[in-house]
Amino acid sequence: MGVKAYFMINMKGGGNGHADALADLEAMPEVEFVAPVSGQYDFMVKVDAPTGVVQVANKILEKEWVKHLDVLKIEPHIPKPFLEEVCSIPSGESINWCAQCGMCSASCPNVAQMDYSPRKIIALIRAGKREQVLTSNTMSVCASCYLCTARCPEEVKITELMHALECLAVRHGLRGGRTPTTIMHRAFTESIKKNGRVHEVGLMFRFYLRTNPFAALRLSTVGLKLFSHGRMPLRARKIKGIEQIKAIIDKAQALGGA
Amino acid sequence: MKYYSYFPGCSLEATAVAYGLSTKAISGPLEMELIELEDWNCCGSTPYSSTEDLEAICIAARNLALAEKTGLDLVTPCSSCYCTLSRANSQLREYPELRDKVREILAAAGLEYKGQVRVRHLAEVLFNDIGLEFIKSKVVNPLSGLKVAPYYGCQLVRPTGFDDPENPQSLDLLIATLGAEATPFPLKSRCCGGSLIIPEMDLALGLIHQLLESATTNGAQCVATVCPLCQTNLDAYQGIVNSKFKTRYDLPVLFFTQLLGLALGIAPKELGFDKNIISAERVLAPFTTAARSVRET
Ligand code: SF4
Ligand code: SF4
Repeated sequence: MGVKAYFMINMKGGGNGHADALADLEAMPEVEFVAPVSGQYDFMVKVDAPTGVVQVANKILEKEWVKHLDVLKIEPHIPKPFLEEVCSIPSGESINWCAQCGMCSASCPNVAQMDYSPRKIIALIRAGKREQVLTSNTMSVCASCYLCTARCPEEVKITELMHALECLAVRHGLRGGRTPTTIMHRAFTESIKKNGRVHEVGLMFRFYLRTNPFAALRLSTVGLKLFSHGRMPLRARKIKGIEQIKAIIDKAQALGGA
Repeated sequence: MKYYSYFPGCSLEATAVAYGLSTKAISGPLEMELIELEDWNCCGSTPYSSTEDLEAICIAARNLALAEKTGLDLVTPCSSCYCTLSRANSQLREYPELRDKVREILAAAGLEYKGQVRVRHLAEVLFNDIGLEFIKSKVVNPLSGLKVAPYYGCQLVRPTGFDDPENPQSLDLLIATLGAEATPFPLKSRCCGGSLIIPEMDLALGLIHQLLESATTNGAQCVATVCPLCQTNLDAYQGIVNSKFKTRYDLPVLFFTQLLGLALGIAPKELGFDKNIISAERVLAPFTTAARSVRET
């Protein structure tokens, strides 16, 4: 096995023939995984490129329906098996106890909106389906309500698992900057890195600017109400120990992992 | 007098300013001294632990390191801060390798955390340390006849909470102590969507709708919450819920500390009622006049 690469692909003709294109990609021996994506591109593809990434990219570019291809990322070495990777994260090891009873999925208030239920996510991790898990929306619609965790008869830390998987998706570059929840998280952490505190107005402003400024219109009444009730100070507060925050983040990045 | 290190959290300086005001206002009469943690930083909350967990734990641990120097328990009124700071504690306790890494990282910032701080939620402190008996003895303006839906939300009672994770009773009892009536509220520990209200608004609106429906059909005149996110979601987004679901909810959503303050005879304006978007004036009218006269005599 050689290098792995991720491609982002655009179709000609405004996305007609989506299903055929999907089947076409899936039929390629080099292709390990295809995910239809929304936003700027039509598909994300993971390929195994034993003789070189360019060869595989050219092979895809030859297809008459392909308009454009970008290389998202090249992975030089074979990553740890997915199950091992998940289990090496604090709390991740708890999935070993899962009996697949489905209590977590039955308890989850947001399961209807998830690509895969919490139980299914664990099954997919065990089956080594890294891309399928890490590109799914499951973590993005988890509200961290801990109901699954409270009810799991085997003490699997499912909510923690959701957070850990989202971290992995970010670390592996699989969030591609278009998932609203991930964008909100990023704006949130940036606020802390800059000021040591979260400034709620700034957070919302940055979120809507990066996603859909028009959606903000729907919210302007909420914003105005909060503002007129003295609940949205416009000035961000900065802590005195911001240098400590910077030192913490630098050191954590140097050490890596969790 | 009981002494605590106090962690307000970011929301209490913005969307939940009424929570901060009312917490401060009740602390005197209930003989609690809440000493604000000097130069605290954001706990990091779910967004940080879903982005880079090692950084997230260290960011939370900075607060714990600062609090440890005071030797006091760290009390926060915010359920998310409570959950996040407690989580940092339990992860550090459970994973020695993580603990070593975090020690090294904090040292780079000139900090040290030995793992000694107890993280507590304000509701738990009132229930366990101050006690319902004592609170009852301080009630001068009983909220007789007021029907209140006790809303616990998630992170006060899960994963580590002090009360039952699905059928908690402490807030019900506290409401009764104030002379009010805690209504049945089957969704009392269900999720409001939390911070998903920003990136996944429609999903969160659905959850908020269910909560408002459950509270209303059980006869509540207002909701009492223990969490800044719950309050903002149910109060500030109630209008959007009404337009999305063609409903006509007009249900005030109060911090439990606001109701507590009112029962203790504290003037409404010190309790931040003017910050509530769904006005509580009408349902609280009998008690706000009483509060004024109690104060004047
Ligand atoms: S409730 Fe626990 S044991 Fe059951 S499927 Fe979910 S994680 Fe597995
Ligand atoms: S914590 Fe997340 S996955 Fe678990 S029940 Fe709640 S929303 Fe669902």
